[in-house]
This record gives sequence, C-alpha cells and structure tokens, in this order.
Amino acid sequence: MDPMESIKATFFLECEELLGDLEAGLMALENGEGDDETVNAIFRAVHSVKGGAGAFGLDDLVRFAHVFETALDRMRSGQIAAAGDAVKLMLRAADVLADLVQTARDGGPGVEQQRSMAIAAELEALSEGRDPAPANADGELAIDTVPDDAGIDGLDFTPQTVSLDLPADLEAAAPAPVGWRIRFRPNTDLYAKANDAAFLLRELEGLGECQVTPDLSGLPAFDDLDPEVSHLAWEIELSGECSEAAIREVFEFAEGDCELEIAQLDHHAGSAALPPGPDPAGPEISLSDANAELMAELPGPVAAPVASDKPAKPQAQPASATAPAQATIRVELDRVDRLIDLVGELVINQAMLAQRASESDLGRSNGVSMALDDLEQLTREIQDSCMAIRAQPVKSVFQRMPRLLREIAAMTGKQVRLVTEGEGTEVDKTVIERLTEPLTHMVRNAVDHGLETPGERKGAGKPEEGTVRLSAVHRSGRIVIEVADDGRGINRERVRQKAVDRGLIDASAALSDEEVDNLIFHPGFSTADQVSDISGRGVGMDVVKRSIQALGGRISISSRPGEGSVFTLSLPLTLAVLDGMVVTCAGETLVAPLTAIVETLKPRPEDLEKFGPQGRLLKVRDTYVPLIDVGVRLGWRTSGTDPAQCVVLLVETESGGRAALLVDAIQGQRQVVIKSLEANYQRVDGVAAATILGDGRVALILDIDAVISSRRAPPPTGQASLAKAS
Amino acid sequence: MPAAKDIRVLVVDDQMSIRLLVRAGLQQIGFTDIVDAPDGEAGLKALLDRPAHLVISDYNMPKLDGLGLLRAIRSHEPIRKTGFIMLTGRADTDLVQRAVQFGVNNYLVKPFTVATLKAKIEGVFGPLT
Repeated sequence: MDPMESIKATFFLECEELLGDLEAGLMALENGEGDDETVNAIFRAVHSVKGGAGAFGLDDLVRFAHVFETALDRMRSGQIAAAGDAVKLMLRAADVLADLVQTARDGGPGVEQQRSMAIAAELEALSEGRDPAPANADGELAIDTVPDDAGIDGLDFTPQTVSLDLPADLEAAAPAPVGWRIRFRPNTDLYAKANDAAFLLRELEGLGECQVTPDLSGLPAFDDLDPEVSHLAWEIELSGECSEAAIREVFEFAEGDCELEIAQLDHHAGSAALPPGPDPAGPEISLSDANAELMAELPGPVAAPVASDKPAKPQAQPASATAPAQATIRVELDRVDRLIDLVGELVINQAMLAQRASESDLGRSNGVSMALDDLEQLTREIQDSCMAIRAQPVKSVFQRMPRLLREIAAMTGKQVRLVTEGEGTEVDKTVIERLTEPLTHMVRNAVDHGLETPGERKGAGKPEEGTVRLSAVHRSGRIVIEVADDGRGINRERVRQKAVDRGLIDASAALSDEEVDNLIFHPGFSTADQVSDISGRGVGMDVVKRSIQALGGRISISSRPGEGSVFTLSLPLTLAVLDGMVVTCAGETLVAPLTAIVETLKPRPEDLEKFGPQGRLLKVRDTYVPLIDVGVRLGWRTSGTDPAQCVVLLVETESGGRAALLVDAIQGQRQVVIKSLEANYQRVDGVAAATILGDGRVALILDIDAVISSRRAPPPTGQASLAKAS
Repeated sequence: MPAAKDIRVLVVDDQMSIRLLVRAGLQQIGFTDIVDAPDGEAGLKALLDRPAHLVISDYNMPKLDGLGLLRAIRSHEPIRKTGFIMLTGRADTDLVQRAVQFGVNNYLVKPFTVATLKAKIEGVFGPLT
C-alpha cells in the first residue's frame, strides 16, 4: 500500500475511536454526568478529526469540523452551557460528522449538503449566541479553504535558534563521567513482580566494572524473615563511560519497584555526589564474590534469587528506553482469521494424532503419551488465546444504537431514552458483526412498534419518555442480549387475528400466550398495519430470527400487555468451536451441542407411550416429552428402531421446551471445530454445521431446535424451517 | 551545517496518523533518528530517558498538553535546551504567543507540506545538509 494511503487508513481507524469518544462524551453530558474533562475530551476528538482531515485534504470534513470545534471551544470556555439543547444539537452534529467521515472514507453520494449546512448554521448561531439563521444562500460556510503553509497572519514570530554541537550535547548535558555511584534498594515486592536483583546487577556489570556493596541493614532477624520479600539493598560503584540513561535502562522494568539513586562519581575527589546512605554492613566486595558471601551468610530463600543462575526473564530484557509502552496493536482481521483457521486445523490434527497413537499402541509408551498430553494442552491454550484475540466487547454494536434511536425518535415523534448495560461483555468479532443488523432491527422495532406516542403514554399513566434497555451478559458459555422496552407490549388479539387472516393458524386454534407472541417470528408476519418507513423495510422478525439462528443463536420474546416486551438473544461466544456430544445414529456419526443437552438416559420400555398415529412420548420423571428418532428425522432410516436398544439425549430448546432425541449410541464428549456445511457443501435440514473428527471422518453437527421444530407441522410457533431457508 | 541524520527528533501527538505523517515528512527530509510518544507525559519520560535534539509536539493532547510539555522541558536542566516546534491549528495565534513565553523555538501550522516542515526545522537549527 502507498504509505500515504496506509496513514490515511490509520486516520480513519482513529476517526472511529474519536467519533465513539465524541458520542459517548456528549451522551454523558446529556445525562448530566459530564465534567470539564468530558468537554475537553469532546473538543479534542473533534479537533483531532479536523487536524487529520486537514492533512489529507478532506476539505468538507475540515469545514464542518471547524464549525463544530468553534462551538465546542465556546462550550469549553463556559460561554455555552454543556447541557440541554446545545448538547442535543451537538449530538446531531456528531452524527453529521460521522457521516462526513464515512463519505470521505468510502466515497459515495455523500452527506446531504442541506443537512450538514443546516446543522453547521445552527452550530455557528450557537457559537455566536444568536438564533439560528438559514445557511448562506450559496451554501458556503463562513470559513475559507483550509490548507495553509505560511503561518499565522499578523503574528510577529522569530524562530528561536538552537546551536547544535552534534552529537556531543546529546547524551546528558554533562561531560562524560568517569563513573557512577548507584544506590539500589528494591521495594519488598520486587521479586513478586518477576524481577531479579541479581539479574539487574549482572546487567550493570555489562556497562563497566562494578564494585557492589550489599546493605544488610534491612535484614530482619531469622525468625522474622519473610523469604518471599526483598530485604537487601546495594550500592554499586560503576566505572566506565556509560550514560545515565544506559543505567536507567537496566532498571527500566524495576523502576516502580525500587528506590534508585544514580549519582556521578568523581574518582579524583574520591567522593560521590550521593548523600550518605545507611552504613553498608558488609565489606566492599565484587559482584561475583558477593554471591558467595551472601550464600554463606544468609539463609537460603533470600540468597536464592541473588545467586540464581536461571536465564534472564523475558520481562527484564532491556528494551529501547524511548519506545513508549504499546498497549495495543492493530492487526488486519484477515491475519487473525487465517491464524484461527490454522489453529482449527491444528486442533483437528492433534486429535487425529492422538487417536492414531492410541490405535497403534504408541500411546502405551509413556514418553509418547505424555508428549501428546502436552500437545493437547498447548493446542487448547493456543486455541483459547486465538479466540481471545477475536473477542471484542459488544460496545461496538451498542454504541451505534443511540444515534439510531435519536433518528427513529425524531421520525416517529416519540421520546426515547436508551439504557445500556454490560457493554464490556466480550464475544467473537464475527458474532458482533453479524449481530449489528438484527439488533438494529430489534431496537428499531422496539421504538416503532413497542413504544407508544407521548400522548398515549401519558394517558396510560406512564412517563412520556419511553425507555429501551439494551443489555448483555455472559451466561453459561453464551452471551445473552436483551432488548427491552416499556411500551405497550404485544397486542395478542391483533397478532392472532393477523395470523388467522394470513392463514398461518386456524381460527379455532388454541394457542398459549407464548405461542401467540412467537407468531411474530413467522415468515412474512408483520404487525404494522401500514408498512412504515422505519420498520417496514421488507425485513420481518423472521429474518431477524433466521440471522440469529445462523449464528447458532436463539431468540425468544416475553411480553406483558401495557408493560412492554423483552426480546432475548442467546448466542455462542465463538463460532469456531463447539463442545459436543459425539453420538452414532443409523451408522453415521453426529455431534450434538452439549449446551442443549440436559441429560442422557437409557429409555425403559414401560416409559414409552404412543401419541397419535406416529408420535411417541417418553416419560421422564413424571413428565412426558416427545420422543424423536434422529435417524428418521434426518431421513437415514424409515422405520423407528427399538428405543430400548438406543440412548436418549434429553435436550432443551431456547424457549424452554424439552424433547428426547433417540440415537443409537454415545461415543463421548469432545470439543469440535466447526466447519460450515453451507460453504463446503450445501445447507441440510436439521444440520447446523459439520466437523472433522479425530479419525479424519466428517461428522454432522445437529441443529437441535430445527430437529425438534420440524416435528411440528404446520409450525404454530413460527419456527423458520431450514428447508425454506436453503 | 547540521545533517538531518545526526539530529534525533521526538514527535509527540496523540493521533497516530499525525505522528506517522510527521515521521514520513522527516524521513523524506533525511532524518533517520525519530522516536515518538502519544502524549506529553510519555514524551517527557522518553526525553528524560534519552534526550533528543528536537521535539515536534502537538498542543491538544490528553494527560500533558504541548504547552505543559514545553514548560516541563524548559525546567529540566539536562534537557532544557532541546529544540521545540509546536504543531498548531490555523487560528491559534494565542497559543503561539503563549508558547513563545515558554520558549518555543518555532511553530508549525497543520496541515503542512514537507517543505514547510523543513523550513521550520531549519529556522531552529540553520540550514540542513
């Protein structure tokens, strides 16, 4: 990539962060939670966007950011109150700025000129403390074009010259010293932080000849000795022409964990610049002798770290002193994905190796089996670490919602407040990416269909401002996301009527409340009488449901009339691996997701009941659950086998329903790497994905919910059928 | 005449893109010894650890801003004489005037060209070879 282009790409990445900070700050102000630093941070964000935009000649962006910045500057100096309408205007301005950034990055039609002009005019009016006037007729903002190399007009400035005596004046301002006196007193927890005084002293020796004097004054009586803390201090006379910076570099990683004094040593005068410290108890000895002496004098535990000959710890390796600590690095996602892919292959390969070894009796050899165990352990750790790279907080999705909400609120004339919880909850990046669309749709729905107008709310005795709550939490290896509103709840009568009108259910059908609520997930179902601009984009809840299911997730709804609705999404944390139960069925090997399995049992003939012409029920502790022969369901055999010869997996669906899945035998539990069946073959009804087992064979991963729902026909709960989706 | 390659420059800006831009400009002029820091505090620390001849610093930064960094440099004896060029936005006459009080050597208005960058540095050190 052209270096300028790559810097530009960096700038746009920065912009995303800056815009996020901007919005978060403004929202904090809106909620009355901000302070001066919040305003400063907001100002910095806009300022930085402007600065970078200027450098890349993005003039539209610069012009708007400039007007925005000016208004923020007034806010910063207290001339504009950081609350109320001003903040609301700035939130809208932040939206425009985000759009301008996006246009600058992706090209395209661009932001409606009118909209950005109007907001800019409002911002200018705000800055000048007057009522907003329409934008200038020619549509130009009152700021001229930006690039400016010459300088600041009218400023009388003479550059201050610096004489350079290169390179002598660089390394400390003082002449090269003949030596240094270093006083090094570790804090008590130096060793606990994986530092090692002996290592540091040895490093110092690399800079010049060292005379090390231990200071034993801090050494407690033997009975009081805590062997894990540091009691000693050292005074080191270092001769040689090294710089102070070089000495500090040695102590770089111990800096916060010790007292360090470095003073220049004047050999001719025979005195160091350091003030006298506590009298060293021991005689002056050289470093190599010091260890021996200490070993002889001190109890083992204290001496051990000093005398230890273990190799340098990586943490203690001196790094370039000037390089600032880098907390994060940006990596192209492709690289991470490639890595994850490879690790997936590695996991499979490791499983195959283990299986081959055990089959060929190699596993009996102690060395081999231990090495294989280590390999498995390592592979697991590598896998976990790779997954952690991809994990991201859901914040990145959640933070798109405030703007969405503002826009919908403006379009519908409703008043909405967004409450988010658990933004820091982490989940795989792919899940996050594919979550955006369904979540956007759900939030949109919550406002458009869920919430009432301010008037209706007032009439119902509710606050005029509705609340949409978005929360995320980790629950038993999955992430659970809820979208809740305090609106009118689902109008079951209307939903039911609609379903009857559309022939989805029979007019006489007796449905539970839950079943009625779930009708909204039925393909083609839309409760809005008219297709509105906001929700009616040809996307119904069935599409939301399908996209959630495609992620291995489940969606459910609970609603109370007059009090609101809660949509609950449950999603896997990663799409790459799955804890599964490996089973045999009709000669095939299948994997059932462990999370869905409640228990496994051997059915007794007396617990089986016939139900209708084809159905069978299994009695499990006094309740009957439908018994489903997986082999029949997947079309691998036509007639059911004798259940008494089989094993039952008692599974639970997201909506809480239970079913008994009949399989031939259980092979064991295993973590499997998920391979898309759709990408490699095609979608298969009742099958979620595939995997490769240790013996190299392909096994299908069951889609439990689909297997259960295909039992019902026609589906009264609106389960999207896989056959239709394919 | 000083050679660009002999001058160590510290670039301080909270925006990585600006640091990269300044660095690219400096490299084009012939500088090779370039380090950077994401804010004034980190910049000061880097400088105390290992002095540089010249600091090119943004003003608006978290933790310690450009003026704060300039003041800190001027009050630390060993690095007191470090050259300092302040990066500034177009309209910041006030800022430059304040920076002059604290002993700024030159200023550089964003956005800038490589030629301007060079001219501003030469304003501090004299013509570069």
